[in-house]
Amino acid sequence: MYCVKCGVRLQEGTKACPLCHTPVLLPEELQSDRELTYSDLFPKEKTHVRYLSLAFVTAIMIAVALVCFIMCINMYGEIAWSGYAMLGIALGWIWLVFPFWFPHRNPVIFAGVDLVALGGYLLYINGVTGGHWFLSFAFPVVGIVTLLICTVIALYRYVRGGRAFITGGFFIAVGASCILVEFFQHVTFGSEMFVWSLYAVTVFTAIGLFFIIAGIIRPLREFLHRKFFV
Amino acid sequence: MKKKQWFRLDTAALIFPAIKRYNWNNVFRLSATLNESVDLEALERAVMDMSRRFPTFFVRLRTGFFWYYLERLDQPAPIRRDYAYPLTHMSTRELRRSCMRLLWHENRIAMELFHSVSDGGGASVFFKNLLVRYVYHKYGVEVAPEGEIVDIHASPQPEELEDGFYRFAGPKAVGRGEEDAYRLTGTRDESGFNHLITGVVPTETLLEKAHEYKATATSFLAGVMAESIMKLEKRRLPGSALQPVKITIAANLRRIFPTRTMRNFVLAVNPGFDPAYGDYPLEDIIRIITHQLAIELMPQTMSGRIEENVAPQRNPVIRVVPRVIKDVIMSMVYSSTGERKGSINISNLGQIALPEKVAGYVRRFEFIIGEQYSYPNNCSVASFGGNTYINMIRNIHETDLERLFFSRLVELGIPVDIETNERQ
Repeated sequence: MYCVKCGVRLQEGTKACPLCHTPVLLPEELQSDRELTYSDLFPKEKTHVRYLSLAFVTAIMIAVALVCFIMCINMYGEIAWSGYAMLGIALGWIWLVFPFWFPHRNPVIFAGVDLVALGGYLLYINGVTGGHWFLSFAFPVVGIVTLLICTVIALYRYVRGGRAFITGGFFIAVGASCILVEFFQHVTFGSEMFVWSLYAVTVFTAIGLFFIIAGIIRPLREFLHRKFFV
Repeated sequence: MKKKQWFRLDTAALIFPAIKRYNWNNVFRLSATLNESVDLEALERAVMDMSRRFPTFFVRLRTGFFWYYLERLDQPAPIRRDYAYPLTHMSTRELRRSCMRLLWHENRIAMELFHSVSDGGGASVFFKNLLVRYVYHKYGVEVAPEGEIVDIHASPQPEELEDGFYRFAGPKAVGRGEEDAYRLTGTRDESGFNHLITGVVPTETLLEKAHEYKATATSFLAGVMAESIMKLEKRRLPGSALQPVKITIAANLRRIFPTRTMRNFVLAVNPGFDPAYGDYPLEDIIRIITHQLAIELMPQTMSGRIEENVAPQRNPVIRVVPRVIKDVIMSMVYSSTGERKGSINISNLGQIALPEKVAGYVRRFEFIIGEQYSYPNNCSVASFGGNTYINMIRNIHETDLERLFFSRLVELGIPVDIETNERQ
């Protein structure tokens, strides 16, 4: 039997052409199973080496955190600087080790997790130092950064094409966020408004517009692609 | 204590340990499908014979301070069941145990070899001798040593173990400077499964068609492949961003220089054309490839290319650089010069000639090369028993290239039977 689209002859029992995936339609009495040329033995996924390495790195990090804790308790009788160190190590673990436990990593989820962990670390510092800047400054800023990064990663990952527009939009959104950041700075620390954010907005918007223009003007896009393709 | 026999890597082999990655390695495969099921006991005895006669194949990869080297194994690695797909990843750990896998599945015997041990030409001689020994142990058929079939009881000849590159290096090196080629992309199959589509075509029809274009089978197939890649590139890239389409063809230097070496003796040439200059009909593409190959494969050009490869090894400063540093440098050089110069590999082993007494037991003979690290498709060809087996391997889901290539062969009047290792 032959593929009606490609013209190649197919093995008996083939359900669809391997080249163009056109289904093979046969009367029931002529249908059969294709003879498999390879065995059904798949190589074992050698994950144990990876997991052992990850467990080793995790153990080292726990040991370092524990040493910090014991030293701090012996010196001050309470969790002083070791709190920063231990949570810093935990943050490092979440950022650098945790994603590798998963064979199929979704960067959108892990970027979110990383930024939430960072928010938690900042909350701890705020609590220990008796600061009043977490809710009015750190939380919204980290939230904006999380939203921006996760959105751009998701768009890059799931939207086909339109990279120039996504990149341009991202830069403009970063610029606009700078005004918000300065606003939270103003509310929390009493600093003046529009000291630095307008410069940032101008620069980021210009970069963003350049990308959008490049997305619209095809020769410019092709020139950039030719010069900077990876 | 028994003295361990060891071998330096030949000139072409040096690059492969340096460029291997945690999930990729340069490995290729030869397989023969017999008329009857494989007799494991006869195969084991044949392998024992072979390990005495072909010591450079039964080796493991070891690390020295300045260079890698191959250490002979006391016992051949056990014969294993073949996997669900060819060329499963050969890890560094496995290379430290053995650089060769011998596999079986129903009627098929296969060998998968790390490229540092030998090339397709050397490995095919080894594999033919293995089949001869298998047939001897299974059916008692004896074949007299002649041509590529060796006297199994004799010692390995020094010429078989030589690094041919040193012997045939020319007086002046030929530079590597050439343009980068267009590289295909696709959605990677993260499971590591190697998708294989085999096109079986009648050798006679293929050769007739190639001769119509005044080309060899290799340059004809390379031409059709280049045309298919050009069509894909034009679909994916705008006109002004088009890059050259180049086909990397492994040239068996044994056909140019007289040696019987069983080590690597192959160099890659990259004939091709630039579609940015305009449309190229198939006839012109084949003509370009044929002429470029003719120039590249001149003994004078090749000896210059060999010198280019050998010269760094003669340099005393480079020799004393620690291997770790050499690895980094070689890997960088390979990334910037090696893989960038070709769009796809086509490796044609040619007509496989088995002794008449053995050929009757073999139904099919195949050759498969793995994908490159930076491009997802590769093609390997071997002819046996009136058929040519064109194996297209890929690690992506898309079959656009295979479809264009095989349907073009059909369009040209060459009937193609398609097989796949995918489970539909």
